Amino acid sequence: MDANQINAFITSLIEVTKMLGMDSWTRTGLGARDQLKTTNEVNVIIGLVGDIKGNVVLSMQEKTAMNIASKMMGGLPVSEFDLMPKSALCELSNMVSGRSASELEKIGVLTSITPPTLIHGRNLISLISQIETLVVKFTAEEGIIELNIATEN
Amino acid sequence: MELNTTIAPFVRATNNIFREMLDLGIHKGQVEAQGDSFISQGFTVMVGLTGGWEGWFFLDMSQETAIRLASIIVGEDYSSVENEEVLLAGAEIANIISGNAITDLNNIHIGLNIRLTPPSVFAGKDMSMFNVRLNACSILLQTDAGNIKLNVVMKEGK
Repeated sequence: MDANQINAFITSLIEVTKMLGMDSWTRTGLGARDQLKTTNEVNVIIGLVGDIKGNVVLSMQEKTAMNIASKMMGGLPVSEFDLMPKSALCELSNMVSGRSASELEKIGVLTSITPPTLIHGRNLISLISQIETLVVKFTAEEGIIELNIATEN
Repeated sequence: MELNTTIAPFVRATNNIFREMLDLGIHKGQVEAQGDSFISQGFTVMVGLTGGWEGWFFLDMSQETAIRLASIIVGEDYSSVENEEVLLAGAEIANIISGNAITDLNNIHIGLNIRLTPPSVFAGKDMSMFNVRLNACSILLQTDAGNIKLNVVMKEGK
């Protein structure tokens, strides 16, 4: 996968979170995913179809997800992972992927995106690509977020 | 968009593929009420849809059923879903089912032009899926390999 295409996702995530009042997000890691198991309870998946085809998964711990939801709702305390934080997280992913799609369009890559779906569970095993999954790690005061990108041309 | 226009092609495709490709009978289908989340039986394959209609197709089963289906397809015995081949076999079945169903839908509704994302597989205990536009009910099919649950989330695209 082209580095410019990955950058479109990275800059979109950082810009969208900044717009929502979370300005401490920085990229702290980049690598290939080497295992099927994940300890992250919250995974939000979005599909891509078009010039590039694949799935993007935002993956994090429940605690991080609740911190993000709380920030998105102007500091309202979130103590339970119910409908409210779930919709907030889906909305965040929707904004990130929408922006990514328009960033990709700027470099001539046309894609359509599916609506987000949030997968919640403990000790999950996941396989989002038959080929290779790239993991971009972000660290912020809300916690650690992993952006899994799996595309095929 | 009504429930039977969105989910029926998927039920038909599942029925055909189980009978013809996997040689497994489907005995009974019933509707199962779904709350605000889709509750997984342990193993879920998701395929995204974009185009005239956009959303997701969920194919859900227990981990035992997933292992059984993988054994039928590959011809080897597996002990756990942590084996990548079990995940890939599940992904392939969902891929074929959604491919057939989408061909059906696109033929009926000319100009709809729905396209599919590659399948993703999730497995784990007490897993649930949340989507704003989740169908209020799933179709539960009793097959020779165990119960299979189908759900389709769709809205009109841009």
